[in-house]
Amino acid sequence: SLNGTDEKKFKTFDSYKRDNQFPSRVKDMIICVDARASSIVVPVFGRPVPFHINTIKNASRTDEGEFTYLRINFLSPGQGVGRKDGDQPFEDPNTHFVRSLTFRSKDTDRMEDIMVQIMDLKKQSIRKEQEKKQMED
Amino acid sequence: IKHRESFDNIYLDLSKNYGKCRFADSGFAWKPAQGGDTFTLQKEELQQAQWSRAARGYELRVLSRSNGINQFDGFQQEDFDRLAKAFKIWYGVNLDNKEHALRGWNWGKAEFGKAELVFNVQNRPAFEVPYTEISNTNLAGKNEVAVDFSLTGDEDAGTNGHLGGARAKGRKLAAARDQLVEARFYIPGTVTKNALKKANGDDGEE
Repeated sequence: SLNGTDEKKFKTFDSYKRDNQFPSRVKDMIICVDARASSIVVPVFGRPVPFHINTIKNASRTDEGEFTYLRINFLSPGQGVGRKDGDQPFEDPNTHFVRSLTFRSKDTDRMEDIMVQIMDLKKQSIRKEQEKKQMED
Repeated sequence: IKHRESFDNIYLDLSKNYGKCRFADSGFAWKPAQGGDTFTLQKEELQQAQWSRAARGYELRVLSRSNGINQFDGFQQEDFDRLAKAFKIWYGVNLDNKEHALRGWNWGKAEFGKAELVFNVQNRPAFEVPYTEISNTNLAGKNEVAVDFSLTGDEDAGTNGHLGGARAKGRKLAAARDQLVEARFYIPGTVTKNALKKANGDDGEE
């Protein structure tokens, strides 16, 4: 790059353009991993809410009694590690962030599967990003 | 002139069972298809109405003086015109067509409204959290607000077959197979005590 300023420019991304593009499984009010849209869609009080994989930091799972808890951590300021300027619009000091969402379910296997899918999607998107950078160099 | 509009396969407050939603000039009612108690709302009670995409089709979301927020989902996209007309002519209330954010961003503005917390992305709501569903909020760290939706062990509590399995206030999250139990927000600067009080269901006016 010329002087480094280009790299800092935020590259925008969208999960969906229209509300008829959600996976049909959202009607079951379950967490859906939509690899085609590089996104996950989560149920929040009956609303399907998309999050692009670029906003996700990681996911973790814990079992407690009959429930499996899945915690999805998002990239947000003040986390110390893993922050790269330019990946997110951190510049506006007044911006609010969703930092994490925790879901519980009795479907242990499905929760495990969702976690693996999220991690795979994340790895994929990082790899794509690196390949793109190499091509540009 | 039509005196009545009715819609089938509608769910009340994320109920297990669907029912029929009937609108007339005095107000509207929802009756579970399998029978049982009928939910009614008089037009004098209505304050706001919103139309949005939901998990099951489209959702009518109303704010009323007596009941706070009620959700009716399962509508078809093409139902909007009939419904908007009914609200305008019979109730004098505008049915707001609110398109939700689809960008998939996790940043925006959390706004503490009259009856719910709304997370907006580029001036469009991404999701809403009714205050009735929040069990606790606290400052979990510097600039970090944790919002809890914990339920008791019985995930179906509050339905009891009453109103076709409609979720009672504070029990709405139990409707989903994957249930949201906690949300954490990064909110820089000072979160006003009033905002937290409001979310906790206390009177935030003082």
